[in-house]
Amino acid sequence: MITAWARRRSTADHVSGWMLVAPSVLLIGLFGLVPLVWSFAMSFQRNDLQTPAEWVGLHNYDQMLGDPVLVAALRHTLIYTVLFVPLTLVGSLVVAGALNRNIRGISIYRLAVFVPVITSTVATGVIFNFLLDPEYGLANGLLEKVGLPAQGFFSDPDQALYAMVAMTVWGWIGFGALIYLAALQSVPKDLLEAAALDGCGPVRTFWQIQVPQLRPVTAFLTTWLIINALQLFDEVYVTTKGGPLHATTVVVYYLYQQAFQYFHAGYASALACLLFVVIVLVTLIQMRLTRANDESGAA
Amino acid sequence: MRQQGRFAVTCAGALTVAVALGACGGSGDVDDGTAKITLWHGYTGAQTEAITALGKQWNAEHPDQAVTLVFDGGNDDVLQKTTAGFVAGNYPDVAYEYGSSVGPLSRQPRLADLTERSQDPAVDWDDFFPAVKDASTVNGKVVAVPALVDNLALVYNKDLFARAGIAEPTPDWTWQDFRQAAAALTDKEAGVYGWSYVNDGTEDTVWRYLAMLWQAGGELLTADNKKPAFNSAAGLAALNQLRDMAVTDRSVYLDTGNQNYSNLFADGKIGMLWTGPWDLSSFDKVHYGVVRLPGYNGNHESISGPDLYMMFNRSDRKTDTAWAFTTWLTSPKVHLEYAIQTGDLPLRTSETKLPEYRSTYLKKYPGAEEFTDNLDNVQHARPNIPEYSQVSQAVGEMVQSVLLGQAQPQEALDSATETVQSVLAGS
Repeated sequence: MITAWARRRSTADHVSGWMLVAPSVLLIGLFGLVPLVWSFAMSFQRNDLQTPAEWVGLHNYDQMLGDPVLVAALRHTLIYTVLFVPLTLVGSLVVAGALNRNIRGISIYRLAVFVPVITSTVATGVIFNFLLDPEYGLANGLLEKVGLPAQGFFSDPDQALYAMVAMTVWGWIGFGALIYLAALQSVPKDLLEAAALDGCGPVRTFWQIQVPQLRPVTAFLTTWLIINALQLFDEVYVTTKGGPLHATTVVVYYLYQQAFQYFHAGYASALACLLFVVIVLVTLIQMRLTRANDESGAA
Repeated sequence: MRQQGRFAVTCAGALTVAVALGACGGSGDVDDGTAKITLWHGYTGAQTEAITALGKQWNAEHPDQAVTLVFDGGNDDVLQKTTAGFVAGNYPDVAYEYGSSVGPLSRQPRLADLTERSQDPAVDWDDFFPAVKDASTVNGKVVAVPALVDNLALVYNKDLFARAGIAEPTPDWTWQDFRQAAAALTDKEAGVYGWSYVNDGTEDTVWRYLAMLWQAGGELLTADNKKPAFNSAAGLAALNQLRDMAVTDRSVYLDTGNQNYSNLFADGKIGMLWTGPWDLSSFDKVHYGVVRLPGYNGNHESISGPDLYMMFNRSDRKTDTAWAFTTWLTSPKVHLEYAIQTGDLPLRTSETKLPEYRSTYLKKYPGAEEFTDNLDNVQHARPNIPEYSQVSQAVGEMVQSVLLGQAQPQEALDSATETVQSVLAGS
């Protein structure tokens, strides 16, 4: 009797449980999974989004091998990621450390640091275009005041990618700092007290007591930032449009150009699949490293 | 997750949810059996008011052929949106498209062929300025009704010319005159440049170069649009002129986007621009003059970036309405009325002969007359081919590499020729 009742009860739970998650399952399925499967299928097509598609097997993947712009885009994405992720991590950590104290007006400082995160990318792009204008921008004005030569920034093919890194690091530090700040505040107080009793100064406490406690958060942020770095698009679209001379053409921007400027939707889908595989690999490696780290830490 | 994180999903979504929905059969693909139509436009401000009023007037007179005007969010992305609309089966009967979109859309099976209709004497097709007529035609087929015409002319700041103590531009200026004036106007101390060139590598970079190429007697592609033709003495002369001014003289402000130059001109920091009538309204504080472009061996050709109404066939009845409405909208009297409200240039020669053209239009828009007259200097149209955006990209990079001093003109020409060749060969 009791088992039958429990079984009925659990079936009912299942149904209502599924009902509750149904809207999100449906939405994620429709806007997440369906496109994923569909672009995978499209990556084997010649598809201009206008005339009937044609199956071309591995042609699109084959074409990737001899595409110099794709090679450049991959190189730019790699350079960008390698610079953007560590700079944002260190920047966020330092800012979080500075904000983790009780001084007058601290919430104003915290708010100020977070503002770039909620500023729209378009606004950020327009402002940086003005600031970094080679002729009339504030940045070169300051450089000239201190006697340094004016720079080309976004208009110089050798500098544009680094200017992009600077702009996006500025935009992301607030996000990283917020996460780090939350983690810093959950570092057990007794550890800090013990450190203070042992005569440990604030700088040493920060680097040797607090920072090691932040390992899981750092792992999360690293993965998060890498994924975002690999998907860089908006900032490029609103500032340099991939230029000058492809200097800031990154993978997703190139994908956009192929799909929506040249209408090579099949090739663009193949690029999307490539990016998907790379992101999955990065995430797996990251998870493996974190687990290994945790285990060695525990042992 | 900020916007860039969402982008991959959005991108895949736009491409493929659209496909998925299309497979299920969107309701927009179904012919509802009436002659009523939907028109997508990206008009804002005065243009919205004008088109809305005209739409109301039309609907009152033609209840069976009512037109629903839909704002599509802006003209810049309308090609992308209509394309997604086709995939989703939810596309407009008429869409306002940029002239450069005709190439990509010419592959669209639903695109209405208007050749026969355009021969109707009542429409007086030859009354449209040649620049827009050419832009509406692909391989001899009429595929669009002209919606807007503009062109590039030389707009200059009279005060800066006076300050530099040099004579103002004349209609007979040569490239050499232009170069000398730009150098004389440039004053690094005061932050003043003689000229500005949009250097973002997009079509905005390309079309100014095309005007120079055509002036020097060159062509972008061969007559059959199968091969590049700009690697010529003319193509080289145009690039040399750009290098001489931007790299040797440093008299050109290179705009990394397409926004700064107009603000700087409005601030009196730029002496001369090659620009169109759309910029004039932001120059009301500048004492400016307008004259046709400087020429090469007496050729002062300009270039037009016309916009078009394109029709997508659901049924003959609907295309009848689409044709009737757009040709009414662009008939001489109605269009002049619209132009008086918006500052658009006339589309037809006969508009300039109507009394209101002089009595109202030119009074309201000083400078418009030079631009209208300059339409006679538009002799070429950009090639309407599906691969145009890739051709444009290659030419844009060529011009950019020369302006930035990263490549010598001949070397840039050779490399762009190779790219365009492989694009046109379909690889």
